[in-house]
Amino acid sequence: MELLSFGDKGYGDELFYGALITIQLAVFGYLLALVLGIGLGLFALKGKGPRWWAFRAYASVFTGVPSLLVIFLFYFGGAEIVRSVLAPLGVNLRLDVTSFQAGVAALGLVYAAYLGDLIRGAIVNVPKGQFEACEALSVPRRHLWFDVVLPQALRLALPGLANIWIVLLKDTALVSLAGLNDLIAQAKIAAGSTKQPFVFYTAALLFFVLISTLTMPAVRRAAQRLDRGQRKAGA
Amino acid sequence: MTFDFALARENLPALLNGAWVTLMVTFTVMAVGAPLGLLIAFARMSKRRWLAAFGAAYVAVCRGAPSLILLYLIYNGLAQLDIVRHGWAWLLFQHAFFCVVVAFALNHSGYIVEILRGGMEAVPAGLVEAAAALGLSPRQILWKVRLPIAVRYGLKAYQNEALLFMKSTAAVGAVTLVDLTSAANEIFYLTYDPFTPIITAGVIYWVINFVMRTGFGWIDRRLNRHISAA
Repeated sequence: MELLSFGDKGYGDELFYGALITIQLAVFGYLLALVLGIGLGLFALKGKGPRWWAFRAYASVFTGVPSLLVIFLFYFGGAEIVRSVLAPLGVNLRLDVTSFQAGVAALGLVYAAYLGDLIRGAIVNVPKGQFEACEALSVPRRHLWFDVVLPQALRLALPGLANIWIVLLKDTALVSLAGLNDLIAQAKIAAGSTKQPFVFYTAALLFFVLISTLTMPAVRRAAQRLDRGQRKAGA
Repeated sequence: MTFDFALARENLPALLNGAWVTLMVTFTVMAVGAPLGLLIAFARMSKRRWLAAFGAAYVAVCRGAPSLILLYLIYNGLAQLDIVRHGWAWLLFQHAFFCVVVAFALNHSGYIVEILRGGMEAVPAGLVEAAAALGLSPRQILWKVRLPIAVRYGLKAYQNEALLFMKSTAAVGAVTLVDLTSAANEIFYLTYDPFTPIITAGVIYWVINFVMRTGFGWIDRRLNRHISAA
């Protein structure tokens, strides 16, 4: 246990700061995926037009390749990608892409494809009458989306959102292979210098299991709140 | 930002060798994971408390942890334990491929447990009662009625899991196996071209993904012939 203590003797503080980086990466990646996913979902909302096909092509690419490959692509080639995107705009920028930024961008873009599909499906499944009622009452568009449709879509999308959160959280482990000093990397360093890999990898494993397990009650709470006003079958 | 076709053609054999390793890992794990998942699913649904608790813990750990950590734990961590290091098991655990299969099979079977359990619990009670009324033994009911229907119910979820897991094998490079991703990585370190090898590897992954999805679609149609509107 001394190995896991805080301070000079143990690796507790290193692991703790590593875990903070892991959580930050997961949260930022998820938020980026959520914003892009909502955007893509709304963009591809209308039936099988060119926008829908554009979204299908995007989703097919990013769900067809491993996130690790996308992480490497952005880590190794990110600076060049940013430069060649900005060059036509007359901006000449030289920058280094850190593994954290590459990780957030890769996870965000990959999971935006999954979330876009999910959110599009949820919005499509909000009863048509809700849109028609808003029109009949001439509810402004902003209120139509933010106060009527999206809260109901959120209820439908919630289980999928929670699933993808957990999958994304586990995928953050991969960014350590691109040199990020997250929990896995810290556990690896500690394992290497103490020759006690079993202890440190088990600690890291328990961290992930704990977060995944804690997600479930939180989701149930949110589901209860979003389900208020819904009649239970058989009640 | 350019794609160098000559470089891609030159390195295609190395990438295809990597793709072969990816496929080997994927199919070995699928073959090991399915029976393992079935076994644990029985434990998870057992009336014996301790067995059910074991099943639940297995699922929580194997599904909740990133496969990369399971991989490190088995490849590096087990070597720390003397029983493993000095026992017969070392003959197996010293091979990276064996460790990869064990780690990914644990992860993959954790998902299969929940898919099968969900499927079996969704089998209508009336079907099971009808089978019992016709005099089928509990064993026959399980193998001839509940499981085939559960497999049908769970196929879509299994497809999603199998495709996610195939892509997650990209992490095996971390324990010295040269799969498609690490083959692309090696080419990057030799050429410093960040786009050509990674995009070529991406295309190969996409094709594997597409073929697997098509295969699952074919199985799905075959299993559901009786309800498809032909």
